[in-house]
Amino acid sequence: MKISSKWLREWVNPKVSDKKLAEKLTMSGIEVEGIHSISANLEHIVVGQIVSFNKHPNADRLNVCEIDIADGQNLQIICGATNVSLNMKVAVAKIGAKLSNNIKIKKSKIRDVYSSGMLCSEEELGISELNEGIIEIDCDANLGDNIAKYLDLDDKVFELDITPNRGDCFSILGIAREIAAIYDLKVDILKYYNKTKIKNDIPIKVFNSRACPKYLTRIIKNIDNKVKTPKWIVARLTKSAQKTHSAVVDIINYVLLEMGQPMHAFDMEKINGGINVRMASSGEKIELLNAQKITLREDTLVIADDKNPIAIAGIIGGEESSTQIESRDILIESAFFEQKSISGIARSYGLNTESSIRFERGVDFNLTHQALERATELILDICGGEATEIAEFIDIQTLPKLEPIKITLDKISKVIGFKLDKEWIEEKIILLGFDIINKNDQFFSVAVPSFRFDIKLDVDIIEELLRLYGYDLIPNKNLNIDASLQSVSQSHLSNLELSQPLINKGYQEVITYSFISSKYSDIFNSKYKNITIINPISQDMSIMRASLFPGLLQTIELNQRRGNINSRFFEIGLCFNGTNIEQQVYKIAGAITGKRHSNNWANDAEDVDFFDIKADVESLLSLSSDDFVFEPYENSDLQFGQSAKIIKDGNKIGHLGLLSPIIAKKLSLEKVFLFEILLAEISNCNISSYNNFSLFQSSRRDISLVIKKDIAFSNIISCIKNLKQKYLIDVFIFDVYETDNIADDKKSIALGLKYQSDKETLKDEEINKNVNQIVTHLRKEFYAELR
Amino acid sequence: MIDNITKTAQQDIANTLNFKELDDVRITYLGKKGKLTALLKSLGDIAKEDRPKFGEKVNKVKLELERLIAIRKDEFELIELKKTLIKDKVDVTLPGRNVEKGGLHPITKTINNIEKIFIKSGFQIAIGPEIEDDFHNFSALNIPKHHPARAMHDTFYFDAKMVLRTHTSPVQIRTLEKQKPPVRIISPGKVYRCDSDITHTPMFHQIEGLIVDKEISFAQLKGLLIDFLRAYFEIEDLKVRFRPSYFPFTEPSAEADIECVMCNGSGCRVCKNTGWLEVLGCGSVHPNVLSSVNIDTEEFSGVAFGMGIERLAMLKYKVNDIRLFFENDIRFLEQF
Repeated sequence: MKISSKWLREWVNPKVSDKKLAEKLTMSGIEVEGIHSISANLEHIVVGQIVSFNKHPNADRLNVCEIDIADGQNLQIICGATNVSLNMKVAVAKIGAKLSNNIKIKKSKIRDVYSSGMLCSEEELGISELNEGIIEIDCDANLGDNIAKYLDLDDKVFELDITPNRGDCFSILGIAREIAAIYDLKVDILKYYNKTKIKNDIPIKVFNSRACPKYLTRIIKNIDNKVKTPKWIVARLTKSAQKTHSAVVDIINYVLLEMGQPMHAFDMEKINGGINVRMASSGEKIELLNAQKITLREDTLVIADDKNPIAIAGIIGGEESSTQIESRDILIESAFFEQKSISGIARSYGLNTESSIRFERGVDFNLTHQALERATELILDICGGEATEIAEFIDIQTLPKLEPIKITLDKISKVIGFKLDKEWIEEKIILLGFDIINKNDQFFSVAVPSFRFDIKLDVDIIEELLRLYGYDLIPNKNLNIDASLQSVSQSHLSNLELSQPLINKGYQEVITYSFISSKYSDIFNSKYKNITIINPISQDMSIMRASLFPGLLQTIELNQRRGNINSRFFEIGLCFNGTNIEQQVYKIAGAITGKRHSNNWANDAEDVDFFDIKADVESLLSLSSDDFVFEPYENSDLQFGQSAKIIKDGNKIGHLGLLSPIIAKKLSLEKVFLFEILLAEISNCNISSYNNFSLFQSSRRDISLVIKKDIAFSNIISCIKNLKQKYLIDVFIFDVYETDNIADDKKSIALGLKYQSDKETLKDEEINKNVNQIVTHLRKEFYAELR
Repeated sequence: MIDNITKTAQQDIANTLNFKELDDVRITYLGKKGKLTALLKSLGDIAKEDRPKFGEKVNKVKLELERLIAIRKDEFELIELKKTLIKDKVDVTLPGRNVEKGGLHPITKTINNIEKIFIKSGFQIAIGPEIEDDFHNFSALNIPKHHPARAMHDTFYFDAKMVLRTHTSPVQIRTLEKQKPPVRIISPGKVYRCDSDITHTPMFHQIEGLIVDKEISFAQLKGLLIDFLRAYFEIEDLKVRFRPSYFPFTEPSAEADIECVMCNGSGCRVCKNTGWLEVLGCGSVHPNVLSSVNIDTEEFSGVAFGMGIERLAMLKYKVNDIRLFFENDIRFLEQF
């Protein structure tokens, strides 16, 4: 909300500068986001008078004006504003002037006609955002004088960020009350009262008094709505960034800003019968003041005449029943709509109005009469006419109940952590508008003012006291010592620990968006149910990822596009198979592509292959105390024959391999090797217990075998292990080769066998017996032959 | 005679140039047919009473020559070694073989750093789901349906009930559902808002803190957070100010600003010339929040705080565009 400092200071005027005042407001909870200066650079901008104007010969929308600036010689200036009129006094920017939008005025030629200056709007002068037409200066202004004298410039505009709990601060009155409480001052509210005896015979029927506990109307007859809104009102409205309309609407908006009570004016002629405050029937239609046509729902409170809805209660009026310049008799509504009935309704229709902002947050229900009287006073003053009595509907039962709140001094100290002086508390509570109903040494019982919808509990009052005390004066205290030590588990691997082996191998961690585009989900998540966001930022960010692969590949793609070719990336993040908690699981995934090592004098630049990424995965898995097995894996995401699944206790917990060439082509990527593992499955790390190792010498025997190509190494190993040889402590493969010497469908492998006993040095015969058993067994199982 | 042999032998040893010559000298004097051996053999020619003395003298000379030969041998070995070392010399300024430059993402680093600070004060780490239900993200946090505060959270929806969490505060609720006070946790994680421009990404990170205990006051919260901010920015006398603010789930509520670390408070583009930077929100836990998880508000009270990790990382690492964090250009990531 933006408000003029001068206007505010008419209500309450602490003897401090605007800057100090703003600081104080911010530090007590009303954040001043900015203090805007009205004065602009007005050098070379003077008062002038339009002595003649004619249509531009080559442009329909422009006028060629002759301007007298008491300089002996009239200026010829071309102007596009629609409000130029004869003898009007205007702000003339002469050649050399610099406007607020940084336009420098030069002599120019517009469609073959010379222009020696510019007639300015308020926006161009930098005094408001009003840019509809040029500014009109008082008729008694002296021609040629600098314009500054005639503009209301010695004012500042406060830009306030009002928190959603403080609906009461959406007005001059509200802010004035705050300032008064801060500076120990008083705010006087002028009481207006119109003593008319004219009857108001428009019937009011309220069908939902829970939503509308109070509804007042007043008719003002025979007004002249063609009059110009007084400049002081226009000035204040524009400083608050409000557009101006007709006099009646401007006055109603003025009172809204001044007191915070939204009101609405209807044209009497357009009202069929009486006023009905009711819920909309489903399917009813209304055209709104903003030209939006909407179909109403049953949860929407409306103001209707005997035929149709004429306004959405507390939010916006209808176009049909609105006042026009020609309107003679008008009906003004001043009502109290309950918060909950208005909340969310405006947003559901895509609306956000000055009225809905206030009713959603709560409007003082003791203000309804006063605001109506104030508006009446101004309308009669400005537009003339006669006011009727106020017709009212009030349901005491449904008006908000102001339950007294009890607050103990003990509770205050407990919450804030230090003691506040009792007299000080009492003084501040009263300054804030609360009434003390009851009190003793230990407690106060207070009545909440009708404008504070946010005060419901004792802690709410504690905050009030604390912010007036000043948060900066609160002592800084330490936490109490927590004597019990927290256990630190060694059996669970942290993400940091799990990242370490990858980092050591040159992987860079990335964080990618959890939502991916349908392009990627079509490629990867085809097996999964798509978890789709109803209201995504864009289609590229609309589906929750089921795998980390899309993000990693996108990262590779971006980096390659920017010339970063060799990459090793990993990510740890949640993946989604559904919206339930148990369907959201952490995964760890990595991707490598390009050369094994960056160009280095020490080695050839070789491409990464399957065994690079497998080694990385094995390093990662080695942190865990569980056993993992790799098995060939068939999956459409990965290339057949170069992908494996990772098995733990018979369950697949991850996979790795080469990105399928079909997908790689779709994404314009070269060979990318990927892995992905369920994080929870590799973070167990049993606490080790020490095993004795043998002090006797171990013996190694090597055997070289020729076997069929398609027999997997893992099968050979498990075959050997199945023999459960007592002294066999290690089996490893140290060579695999295919040569011309052996058949095409065969390969040669070299195995190392290590034997050791913890009681003696093993004898050759014993070892040979074991080796022979293995050779025989392999021959039987795989037709393996010794080479 | 014997003195002569000693002298010439010493001379001969010193004159040798390699192992071979040295060995020849050894044989000349100490070999089976060597000069000294010959002297020992001539023992019989010497008067009986002089024999022990003579023998002793010859043995002494023999030992001395052996010693000198050994020294000379060591010298040759050292020379040989030096030759090899020169041959084995490498250019030590060449880079090491296969330097691997992996690293953590700056956001992870920031989270780890913040966790370390709080763990020292007895905080535990809690995490929660990123797709949340309305209850945990809003209702339990005192944000009922249609509350104006919901407009502050531009929420991503899956259906009427499930949303992408808009803050890490639901972890407060999930923790208190499981754990009886005293509770002292922090909870880092991803959060989502339907907002995207130069200063906002639709996904970002927050860290939430919660203490629920028999006696925990606003003054302690303030002390804790000032200590934290000074520890995090590693500026001992960092100026911090607390302003009243509003969050539905805390009462009283505050926002904390630090003196701008870019301009030291003199005013710049980053702090919009105010000299202050807002870095966190905090407050005493609203009684409605504690009641929603059946905690007796007469017995226990709580304080909570929340902060944006990107903001803290940007200020510490002087990053000027939040979008860089999620673009993952290696040239950005490598810098941390």
